[in-house]
Amino acid sequence: MNTKPSILKYPIRLAALLAALSSVVPFARANEAEDMDRLFTLKIYPVLAQKCFGCHGDDPDDIDGGLVMHTLDDILFGGNGFDNVLVPGDADASFIVTAMKWEDPDYEMPPKENDRLTPKQIADFETWINAGAVWPSEERQSEIRLAEQHVLENEDGIIMATSGGLGDEWTYRRYNKEEMWSFMPVQKPEVSTKENPINGFIDEKLKNAGFKPAKKADALTRIRRASWDLTGLPPTPEEVSDFIRADKKDSKQAWADLVDRLLESPRYGERWGQHWLDVARYSDTGGMANDYEKSNAWRYRDYVIRAFNEDKPYDQFVMEQLAGDEMANASVSERLSGDADAIANIHEKGEYTEQEIEWMVATGFLRMGAFDTAMVPLPEARQIYLDDVVNSVGQTFLATTMRCFKCHDHKFDPLPTKDYYRLYATFAGTQLAERPANYLPDENMLGMEEGKEMVDLMHAYASDRMNALEGKQEAAAKAWFEERGLEYINADDRKGLDDDVKPPRDIGLDYVDEGRLKVRKQDDWIWNRRKERFDPMVQSVYNSASFKGMNAKKLRVKDNNPEDTLENHILIGGALTAPGDPVSPGVLSALGIPASSEGEDPYVVTNDLDGRRLAFAKWVANPENQLTTRSIVNRIWQHHFGKPIAGNPNNFGAKGGKPTHPKVLDYLASSLVDGGWKLKPIHREIMLSEAYQKSGSHPQLEKLREVDPNNDLLAIYEARRLTAEELRDGMLAITGELNTEMGGLPIMPEINMEVALQPRMIQFSLAPAHQPSRTPEERNRRSIYAYRVRGQADPFLELFNQPNPNDSCEVRDSVSVSPQAFTLMNSDVVTDRSIAFALRLENESSRMKSQIVSAFELALGRKPNRKEVNRMTDYLEDMRVYHQRFEPKPVEYPKEITRSLVEEFSGKPFEYTEILPVFENYVPDAKASDVSAETRALADLCLVLFNSHEFVYVY
Amino acid sequence: MKHDLCSRPFSTPISRRNFLCGLGASLGSVAMTDMFAADGVNVPKLGPLAPRDPMIPAKAKRVIMLFMEGAPGHMDTFDPKPELQRLHKSESTIAKEGDPFKFFVGSPFGSRKVGQSGIDMCDQWKHMADPEVADELCNYRGCQAESVNHPEALYHMNTGSRLGSDPALGAWTTYGLGSVNQNLPGYVVMTELAMPQGGAGNWSNGFLPAHYQGTRLRPEGSPILDLKSQSNKVRGHQRRTIDELAFLNEMHADKHPEHAALDARMESYELAYRMQMEVPEVMDLSREPQHIRELYGMEDKETEVFGRQCLMARRLVEQGVRFVQIFSGGWDSHDYLEEGHSSRIRSVDKGMAGLIKDLKQRGMLEDTLVIWTGEFGRTPDNNKRGGVYSLGRDHNANAMTMLLAGAGVKKGSIVGATDELGMSAVDVVHPIRDLHVTLLHLLGLDDNKLTYFHGGRYKQMSQFGGRVIPELLS
Repeated sequence: MNTKPSILKYPIRLAALLAALSSVVPFARANEAEDMDRLFTLKIYPVLAQKCFGCHGDDPDDIDGGLVMHTLDDILFGGNGFDNVLVPGDADASFIVTAMKWEDPDYEMPPKENDRLTPKQIADFETWINAGAVWPSEERQSEIRLAEQHVLENEDGIIMATSGGLGDEWTYRRYNKEEMWSFMPVQKPEVSTKENPINGFIDEKLKNAGFKPAKKADALTRIRRASWDLTGLPPTPEEVSDFIRADKKDSKQAWADLVDRLLESPRYGERWGQHWLDVARYSDTGGMANDYEKSNAWRYRDYVIRAFNEDKPYDQFVMEQLAGDEMANASVSERLSGDADAIANIHEKGEYTEQEIEWMVATGFLRMGAFDTAMVPLPEARQIYLDDVVNSVGQTFLATTMRCFKCHDHKFDPLPTKDYYRLYATFAGTQLAERPANYLPDENMLGMEEGKEMVDLMHAYASDRMNALEGKQEAAAKAWFEERGLEYINADDRKGLDDDVKPPRDIGLDYVDEGRLKVRKQDDWIWNRRKERFDPMVQSVYNSASFKGMNAKKLRVKDNNPEDTLENHILIGGALTAPGDPVSPGVLSALGIPASSEGEDPYVVTNDLDGRRLAFAKWVANPENQLTTRSIVNRIWQHHFGKPIAGNPNNFGAKGGKPTHPKVLDYLASSLVDGGWKLKPIHREIMLSEAYQKSGSHPQLEKLREVDPNNDLLAIYEARRLTAEELRDGMLAITGELNTEMGGLPIMPEINMEVALQPRMIQFSLAPAHQPSRTPEERNRRSIYAYRVRGQADPFLELFNQPNPNDSCEVRDSVSVSPQAFTLMNSDVVTDRSIAFALRLENESSRMKSQIVSAFELALGRKPNRKEVNRMTDYLEDMRVYHQRFEPKPVEYPKEITRSLVEEFSGKPFEYTEILPVFENYVPDAKASDVSAETRALADLCLVLFNSHEFVYVY
Repeated sequence: MKHDLCSRPFSTPISRRNFLCGLGASLGSVAMTDMFAADGVNVPKLGPLAPRDPMIPAKAKRVIMLFMEGAPGHMDTFDPKPELQRLHKSESTIAKEGDPFKFFVGSPFGSRKVGQSGIDMCDQWKHMADPEVADELCNYRGCQAESVNHPEALYHMNTGSRLGSDPALGAWTTYGLGSVNQNLPGYVVMTELAMPQGGAGNWSNGFLPAHYQGTRLRPEGSPILDLKSQSNKVRGHQRRTIDELAFLNEMHADKHPEHAALDARMESYELAYRMQMEVPEVMDLSREPQHIRELYGMEDKETEVFGRQCLMARRLVEQGVRFVQIFSGGWDSHDYLEEGHSSRIRSVDKGMAGLIKDLKQRGMLEDTLVIWTGEFGRTPDNNKRGGVYSLGRDHNANAMTMLLAGAGVKKGSIVGATDELGMSAVDVVHPIRDLHVTLLHLLGLDDNKLTYFHGGRYKQMSQFGGRVIPELLS
């Protein structure tokens, strides 16, 4: 029904309208006027300010459509060609409403899909306009706002207490209570002790939706699921048959025993360490223009693997990664009773205790981002690092994407920009350095000697050639001086001289020489620096208020100027050039977890240079910290079910996915703390639940998919594709090639040779080629130990969605694309696996049928059925005939490679040679040309199995 | 039962049970219309790369982007600065405090106005200066980058973000419009043998599904890694392998009706099999007549590499590929600007001019957008290097130059301006995001609506929204 006053149905002139307005309002009932004032102040004005003023008034030089919206008069005045923007009393006639509803394709306001007004907001505008579009005075507005600030919860939501936004409007804004779930304290749910509590929570939701849970999966499915999940490897046929036998005897006990056995396997840490490294962005190089190696980064990788295997309590794991250096400092200082010289000596030589070293290594986390600040001025380089580390810490430990409130208060979450800069200040004294720290007895020194020899060889090759070219150049320079009867001045000393009193820079060199010299110089530098691989150092940090350059080329602890101090400000709009209010180091206030008991503000930590990060770390590791505990149990759940409980493990904010099972999340979060922050009991609890053991089939499948397409109810167990590393490691395990040696220097697997040898640009030159490790034992280790180069991914792993380490990966993609088929069908790497698999089968039996049976058992965990045996027998026989006819070519590895580059100065191409000494003495994997036609035929079958759905997916 | 090698004994028609879930396979996704047409089933076009209508009326249907990696100097290509010539080798007056000694570098090249429209070109451009080409061009001088580092700036120009993990323009385009040919990738990238700085991050799908990733056709060896079978396995062998795989997979899929991704995965193998034929065909330039090969400069060693890529780009868009990008490096002339830039210009001049002429004569320029750009511009001044007056230029994020041609572009025009030394853009100044919004606009895509929900918010190419640059539009 239309209740508008009829007088306003007609177009009226502005003056008349204003007159009409002033007469309408006093006659309205008092409480209605009050309501409209409130409506305007609390509902209308905030929308105008947030969504309209930006283009319609804030920038007087840039007004869209000539329409200003700052005041009622402005709006009534209208825009270019519009005087009906707002018709008080008649929402339908008001063009503002048309625009808000996106009814006129030329005027859809606000123009961005994400900014569109909700139907409720539009309805508020209609109510307000129909009631006469009253715009109360500013005093009246602030009176209403102030009063409302004392109402913590109303129909618009709740006010969240924080350290405060840039303005009151933000500070006292309201949040949808449900969207604030992650900021609420963990509520330990009531649970019965008899049964696994997870069952109850899952069943409750299923029951409400009218579905029964799927039945328990069969024993084979479950042992494969558990083995892949916990170790990243398939079970052996013996493990399968043992388990099936035990399961028949006592299913519950057999399952519990299996889970325990797998959790104790060292392979567990390798698998779960990888999940952590995805989030932490592990890489052995720094990426960007130079892609410098981060020598000894592997020590952090191994620390993570050890931590998982030893079940290091998660709170310690957190603190060590955030503040391990500060913990080590304190420890050194204590045991040496503050003797400054002795302390300095320890730091210089890296002679820490094992515990201290472990702590130092852990801080590698703070060094994991892509980093290279060539050509960036120092203050900006600092900012780039700090923004990166703050965001990484937020995502990793607190499930909070920090970037969102760097330039302004958070749009959706109770995270003021002040808190961003408090965290920023917490890290402001953190300086990057490669620091000396002796190797631990636990750290694997394998390959150090051979590695050193290889690096020396590569270095000598480059430096010899560099010296020869420089010699040629200097000889010509000498001649130049001589010809002029001048005294020879060496290259360094003549740099500053004028052009006419010294020989031309390129004297004695043609463009080929010049190009080569540049390449050799770069190689000389690269290989010389790579010798640091063999020095006991850690990628770590230290505290200092002095900034003395942070070129990623070489990062060392630098002297501290005691007069330097740190001052931190909010940076308006994130700009270094716009410092706002000063801030102290601190934590996120919205959680309500104090960081200290001293001082007025509980969310501020020490202002001393040392101890900021430790105080922050303790706050993160506080058992009450709801983001910390929920975040880690959410990640564990995610990797057991292929999906997390809360949809965005790096972002628990209002716009992240809400938890499908909040009670499970809180139950696990509180169990974690109750269990001394150990993760293995959490795995156990999850895996012993019925939900984890469910089958994928369901009697009401169609209806289930319709109602719950994403399996949010967990009625069934959803299949997942093997990860990139599982595929590679799993194949190696099945063929018997996997070497389970743990840790140490990164290994170089064989990768697609075209990629291994393809030129890769770095600043000034080409990066050295990928040379695989010399022997199969060295190469065929688990993928987590493979050299991770930001500028050059292993194409196999990349195709199967190994994440780009430039960004924290909360969940991996697993889409099927055709290049994956090319790789699994045609690549050398997978072909080699199929040959190795065939050789293993032939080694175990010479009968075709048992070879087929064994192939299925090893790859898929089961025997083939009769149909499969028959079909595969035919296939094998055909392929034996085929391979008699087609001989493979032997594989040759190049011992050197000719590179071509464009010489920068002349723009002409030149060539140079790069050596690949590893292939001098290389032990290749067995190739097709090394084996018989029978073996090749059997390898075809193995290849088919590696390509099969059944191998590639875990059920 | 015995089978011939090349027969398809058990090949059942691919079950279509799950295609309706929209989980199309692969790179080229599934040629579903064809596939089902053969079966007489009428199924709506689906799949992530199925062609989609633009959101708003579109001028451009496809894009060819020529990326000059290393950053061409604007004053040495299309934006002459006579004042700089005058100041050649004199001390720089624009150096910042604390900078080492810097001096101005005049362009080593002369300049002239070409075509009826009078676009400026340095005298090194011969083929581009042909009025037939020149009058098709729009030279834009107002764009500003942010980073002065190559990889970050490359990422920025290609993905809208300096971080290198967001979707590229080509990924957003194929996400928005799909692609016409389902047997080829929708977004193809060609580089030199060496990857550009920043590598594959420049054509990444970022947070968009992997279907929208740029597929790099490698310049040597296998155009797509492992496209070819092992040398001892003939095509019939490949067919047989896929058939055996299909046999196992179908039995498996029957047991797992709950698993929707299986059919799409099997179809990705069939598509791979088709691509093994189609990709080499489209790459086989020997089918092009001699005059066309000459038009692109394929008969001359200096212009052959880039010419080949330009010709390939035309073949690809002709075959229905949506977005083609060519990276051509070597523009980073910190020194020996004359030699460096003249050789770079010679290497791209003929191929690019040939491409525009060829598109035009085929009537394709009307709805093909051609872009020529670097990641930023260069400075009017330079440092001494090793104590020598090195005649080159440093990186400059404040000014650059680019060419646009074809669909919906204001041809024969110069838009925007840089100051008289070329240090900074001063007219019609826009950040890169506005350029992206404009290019999407030409393709019929509204940046504000072309969004993808990721990490808790709707993301868009321009990051925070941008505006169309109306001066560039016809």
